[in-house]
Amino acid sequence: MLLLIWKEILCELRTKQIISTMVLFGLTISLMFALSFNLNKEVLRLISPGLFWIAILFCSILGINRVFSYEIEGNGYWTWIGAPIDRGLVYISKVIVLVIFLLLSEIIIAIPFFVFLNIKADFSIFQFLTILIFGTISIISIGCLVSGLTLRSKIKGNLISVLFLPISTPVIIAAVKSTELVFDQKPLKEWSFWLLILITFSTIFCLTGYLIFNYIIEE
Amino acid sequence: MHFFSRKINKTHFMIVLILSIVNILIILFLDPPNRAQGIFGNIFYIHVPVAWTAFLIYFFVMISGILFLINKDLFWDYLGHACAEVGTLFMFLVLVTGPIWAKPAWGYYWPWEPRLATSLVLFIIYLGYFMLREFGGSPQQVSRYAAALGIIAFLDVPIIFISVKFWLPEMQSHPQVGEYFNGPNSLPSLLIAYSFFSFIAFSSLMIRYRVSTLCLSENNDL
Repeated sequence: MLLLIWKEILCELRTKQIISTMVLFGLTISLMFALSFNLNKEVLRLISPGLFWIAILFCSILGINRVFSYEIEGNGYWTWIGAPIDRGLVYISKVIVLVIFLLLSEIIIAIPFFVFLNIKADFSIFQFLTILIFGTISIISIGCLVSGLTLRSKIKGNLISVLFLPISTPVIIAAVKSTELVFDQKPLKEWSFWLLILITFSTIFCLTGYLIFNYIIEE
Repeated sequence: MHFFSRKINKTHFMIVLILSIVNILIILFLDPPNRAQGIFGNIFYIHVPVAWTAFLIYFFVMISGILFLINKDLFWDYLGHACAEVGTLFMFLVLVTGPIWAKPAWGYYWPWEPRLATSLVLFIIYLGYFMLREFGGSPQQVSRYAAALGIIAFLDVPIIFISVKFWLPEMQSHPQVGEYFNGPNSLPSLLIAYSFFSFIAFSSLMIRYRVSTLCLSENNDL
């Protein structure tokens, strides 16, 4: 498992194609939001959690699109199928690595996002990070699963967007609501319910992915 | 072969015909369960049974998916595909009748009612399911992927429902099904409507499954 994670990190360190595209796209989308919404500070503050999570969701699609690229390109799929490894563990390793990449990108994107939209960062960074971590795990757990399902499709990119976005609806609702409450500096007990939804979602889909990956990745 | 040359088709058609006539009479001439909504309230006899049937059929998609992944028996794949198609048709009816009922009941067409919102999300996921069936790869691979998606889609249902329910709590003061049983005719009428839509769903499933098997045997002959 650790070897699988290290392999993914090594591939990314050599190519830098996932993090660089996610960060650049995140910066661009933050700029687009800032230019499109010429609103007063109060309204911007109200809609900023939604805008932030939409930006994250779109960035994640770029990573999810590339997560199985090494297994597909150059007939690597057949080598992977023949390898004596638990495919569920491959899924978990992909989730862990992509969560790390997306979290790094989110932290980089968050700074210009708040600066461009003039949002005062007077909330608890620790609470915000907690939501970021569980929201990211939820997004990636479903994203890697959908990426696995569309592995052999000729229109993989299109199918990922079509399947991934509606399935992640509850994640977006929970992440936006909890971020909104954290931005308003509400106590933990007011947003713990949404955090619980994110934890439940990530647990269910990580487990489902681990269990069904062995069945779906076959010859 | 002619559709009515099979005895089972003929029987199903007759049962559906009788139940549909009774159901139409109930909808048109029986008092609405909630008198304040007038004739629009009678859409209750369509909307609620259709919704329950749709969710039940989607549950069968999940069960077929699990059994297909375990047994690799094509029967479960065909059944899952048939259930997905019939379920989506029913879900479409839910999305049409829901807003028609919502307008007189709450004053607007889309009330963000958790069940209606869950239906919409499921409907969109299942449109993706058909795209995956069409463009997902070779038939063997697609069967596995579709089975997995059927499982994922149904696992998502309770989480979507809870999220929408608590998303805008001030908008969730909706009447529940039990509150509508204020007349002696409500429950028997609802049960007739349930039987009618269950029969339509069951008959459609049988026909769709048969079409799949006929397509397979035709492909094998070629």
